[in-house]
Amino acid sequence: MAGSRLEKFGTVFTRVRDLMRSGVIQDTPTWYEVFKAFPPKKDPVYVKPQYGFYKKDEFVADIFYEEDKIRAKFYEMYGTGPRLLDLSKSNYTSACQRFLETYSRLESLGELDMSALFEETGKILLAEGLVLRRKGAPVVSSEYRDPVLEFKLTDMLAEQQSGSAAEKQ
Amino acid sequence: MSQRSVACTGAQVLRHFGDLADQWQPDWARFPAQFYPIWQHRHWQRCDLLWVGTLASMAARVLTKGIWALCNPRFVPVGCSSHGHLSVAAAQIKSPQIQADINATDKILSQPLETEDFFRLSELFSLKDLFDARVHLGHKKGCRHRLMQPYLFGCRLDQDIIDLDQTVEHLRLALNFTAHVAYRGGIILFVSRRRQFSHLVESTARDCGEYAHTRYWQGGLLTNAPIQYGPGVRLPDLVVFLSTLNNVFQQHVGVRDAAKMNIPTVGMVDTNCNPSLLTYPVPGNDDTPLAMELYCRLFKITVNRAKDKRQQMELLHGLMTPPPPPTQSS
Repeated sequence: MAGSRLEKFGTVFTRVRDLMRSGVIQDTPTWYEVFKAFPPKKDPVYVKPQYGFYKKDEFVADIFYEEDKIRAKFYEMYGTGPRLLDLSKSNYTSACQRFLETYSRLESLGELDMSALFEETGKILLAEGLVLRRKGAPVVSSEYRDPVLEFKLTDMLAEQQSGSAAEKQ
Repeated sequence: MSQRSVACTGAQVLRHFGDLADQWQPDWARFPAQFYPIWQHRHWQRCDLLWVGTLASMAARVLTKGIWALCNPRFVPVGCSSHGHLSVAAAQIKSPQIQADINATDKILSQPLETEDFFRLSELFSLKDLFDARVHLGHKKGCRHRLMQPYLFGCRLDQDIIDLDQTVEHLRLALNFTAHVAYRGGIILFVSRRRQFSHLVESTARDCGEYAHTRYWQGGLLTNAPIQYGPGVRLPDLVVFLSTLNNVFQQHVGVRDAAKMNIPTVGMVDTNCNPSLLTYPVPGNDDTPLAMELYCRLFKITVNRAKDKRQQMELLHGLMTPPPPPTQSS
């Protein structure tokens, strides 16, 4: 039962190769030829844990796009949008995405200011049926409420009493 | 008794036991074809279903892998005649038919290594499949492991995004290696300490006739196996980590132990894992159920394909008698 238990020196392959070369192991392991034919991209050498500041070449870039500026303004103004985000479908377009597509289409057409473009895009989307409600703005309901529903019984009673009092006098 | 993996040719099996000529041999050493030292773990006994499954799979493995000698009438006399003292000399007396068998086996083993993608595993998945399974999503910036930095595409609003182009290449290499090891009759051990996917990993292993370990890892499982599980235990030839971390977010002990016992490892490394000791690391998400199901499915298909291919090749080269056609009951 021979082997080398030094996992911090060399790779599995180099250790087994050297053990075979020196005659400690007689039989080739099952995986040896396969490793030789298809080596991994990087040698599986043990790397000591490094503590310290990150070096310059270890930098991971932030991912930002040009459209992120418009997305940020959209979320600031309108919040997430009227619909729920359904991420289970891969071709799902959220309200923000539709806004973005219309915005970029308008931008390519003419030379307009950003705020003006925003208004135009909002109008187009309203025409298409996507209602965008500003964050914090009062609810503008499109359905009609019967004025009778606004009556309050206490007010009516008070009116009646003041009316009868006026009649008496 | 050594822990080296038993090769597939009958002559090498004999030689393996041949060097015990001067020592006591247990009963099963006299009949190497029938009694095959098999990897066991007592934790499997807890799960009845799994135990039955592993028994069935072990039985299947014993029957199909390397036990062509039993079906092959030309080979059996040599084994039986030298019972009592299996010597190296007995193994070297080879009839021309056995030599032909050995040549055929060598050809079977060497031919797949010449082709780039012998098992056509690159058609199993595409970059879009990985994206849909959310393999590219990593942890937050603060959890990032230093050594994972080369595998990252970037950082979107503090969440690390893994470079799927690199993942595709690494996954291809890893699946190819797994397939070749399975083709050569190697034992594969699937390890994952994530309780959420414990059942998935165990059923994957059962479905492809390999082994799984998703419970508490005893310290001497690989390093002290002959004493804990009896002499003559065969260690796995490949350990596949579907998650390299244990329940306290430290690297799984199995990674270091497999490297110690010179066993190659394949592992899915997330952005908070250490990829340095793994032989074939695959950068990818290990938290999403969709991603884990994808990996399990890919490994299962790979191993099954490799084993079927091996059967095919053995039939082709005349090493195995084809199974009798199923009798139809009227």
